[in-house]
Amino acid sequence: MRFTTLNGLRAWLDRLAREDEYDLIAPRDVDGHVLYRPVGSSDEILFDYERPELSAKDYLLPATEVILRIEQQGKDVALEEVLPDKKQVLFGIRPCDAHGMAVIDALFLEQDPPDLYYRHHRERSVLVGLACPQMWEGCFCASMGGAPDDPTHLDVLLRAVDGGYAVEAVTEKGAALLEGLPLEEREGEPPSVVADAEPVPVAEPAKWRALFEDDLWQRHGERCLSCRICTYVCPTCRCFDVTDRVVDVRPGLTRIERIRVWDACTSTNYRRVAGGHNPRPTKPERLRNRFYCKFCYYPEDFGPLGCVGCGRCIVSCPVDIDITEVLRDVVEA
Amino acid sequence: MNLSELTEEIRHKARELLESGQVDCVIGYEASPRGGARPAFIYDPAEADRLIWDATCVHNLVTYLHDKKKPRKRGEEPPHVAVVVKPCDSRAINVLLAEQQIERERVYIIGVACEGVQDETGELAARCIRCADRVPVVYDVLLGEPPEVPPVEDDYADLARIEEMSPAERLAFWLREFDRCIRCYACRQVCPGCYCTTCMFERDDGLWVDIGIELPQKHIFHLGRALHLAGRCVECNECERVCPMGLPLSLLNRHLVREVEALYGHRAGREEALSPLLFELGEEGSPI
Repeated sequence: MRFTTLNGLRAWLDRLAREDEYDLIAPRDVDGHVLYRPVGSSDEILFDYERPELSAKDYLLPATEVILRIEQQGKDVALEEVLPDKKQVLFGIRPCDAHGMAVIDALFLEQDPPDLYYRHHRERSVLVGLACPQMWEGCFCASMGGAPDDPTHLDVLLRAVDGGYAVEAVTEKGAALLEGLPLEEREGEPPSVVADAEPVPVAEPAKWRALFEDDLWQRHGERCLSCRICTYVCPTCRCFDVTDRVVDVRPGLTRIERIRVWDACTSTNYRRVAGGHNPRPTKPERLRNRFYCKFCYYPEDFGPLGCVGCGRCIVSCPVDIDITEVLRDVVEA
Repeated sequence: MNLSELTEEIRHKARELLESGQVDCVIGYEASPRGGARPAFIYDPAEADRLIWDATCVHNLVTYLHDKKKPRKRGEEPPHVAVVVKPCDSRAINVLLAEQQIERERVYIIGVACEGVQDETGELAARCIRCADRVPVVYDVLLGEPPEVPPVEDDYADLARIEEMSPAERLAFWLREFDRCIRCYACRQVCPGCYCTTCMFERDDGLWVDIGIELPQKHIFHLGRALHLAGRCVECNECERVCPMGLPLSLLNRHLVREVEALYGHRAGREEALSPLLFELGEEGSPI
């Protein structure tokens, strides 16, 4: 295996942070919460952490993104498309986060037309993963086709080993980024991480279709709060809303920004249409949609399952709605 | 009476209410597969044994009464519902009754004598340490015996660290907290007092705040929500419990609780009374 020490890694990260070519995003302690945030040096980076509380999708599909600037002067209207061009390194992301990006790719990159903004962020990003040393509370990535140390969707995978990290360049993009990282050859391979013992079963879409009117949606959905936690912490939920906001008005001049913002199918007004009709007026109907999107519609329409088993929605739900419990109930129903 | 006896009493009462047809649904707590309790909705008397009571029954179930205001099917009557309440939860019932959000005759209140519930670390929750109520303020049946504990005086000690700050420090403190907010609206959704059909912070044509998940919108949302709950917040602290980003929302709410109590002598939910902020005007020169 190729090996680097923690100090070697830190020096390399400091150089990335210092040089102007990349923004460096990494897990950081933000007032007691582990979150992916921009960092200015390796001192700010956590190397020993569980699963950051939010996924890294914010850096490919920002929670709020200005996509167009509109300036009206008299009869003249000027449009300016906004696309950041600086490259970014997402360091220390978990394999499930990268898997989540691959799931979003199936819709935003691989369909015609692709989502230009997402594609732009995807192309400017390099994903440097850090393998999970174990499964965390709520994790079930192996049941969703991943693993705590799965390199598949990353550009570089690091695994903690005695005295430092085993370094695997997964893609050419990753190999290019690693130039400058002091590496040595070492005997042996890093031990693989034991995945969840009890696999979570996933029913075929046909089974889901047959259960659309089943009582189980009432049972699980009645205690749902219709908040947006599960969708916002999720690495694969990718729904958004678009709106224009006036940022400046003065005589003869109006400036407007077009923003796109995360949205959530669990929220009350997500599905409301012109005229005020809401085809999903109750909590169970909305929660059902979240699960159907992940395990029925998305795989049928775009290929992959819409879940990577990161477990964030499970640990953050205030009323203990548990996606693995739902999956088992669907199989057993 | 120990907790397992209280669990039995709750199950017995729920079964009796469902079997007699007095209510269509009992909202209580069940054991979560992840440990602790979670909200449960019981329609079938045979399922009453799912109900439990212990120190992990933290949720304020009164918030679910809003979902029961409409009939399940068109043309039917709205359901009769029983709800298990702690003293803090029961104060929310008084607020909703005063605001004509629920019909007293459609709600059967199963009051539980309360020794306090746990926070996520297993310690007695902060709101319970300062809570003086052992018995719900309104109920149809009271289960359990009120525990004997020394009288408690709420000295607002939790607010001291904020009130010691200068206005600039306070603003910096709150902006740092609001920065973590992801605008998931869990605080609003869990709140029994937040029941507007369309929240003014979520309007498509919002004049004051757009849908962006950025610091200015989050700042306005949290301050606005706190002000809308002034004189109405019953301090069940569910907003703070459910926040995935750990925002200390009780500091905002309790600051206003203190102000309203000082100015109006009103503490929400103690009686079935509207917040005086909704209609009371002071005389010229008065602090109100």
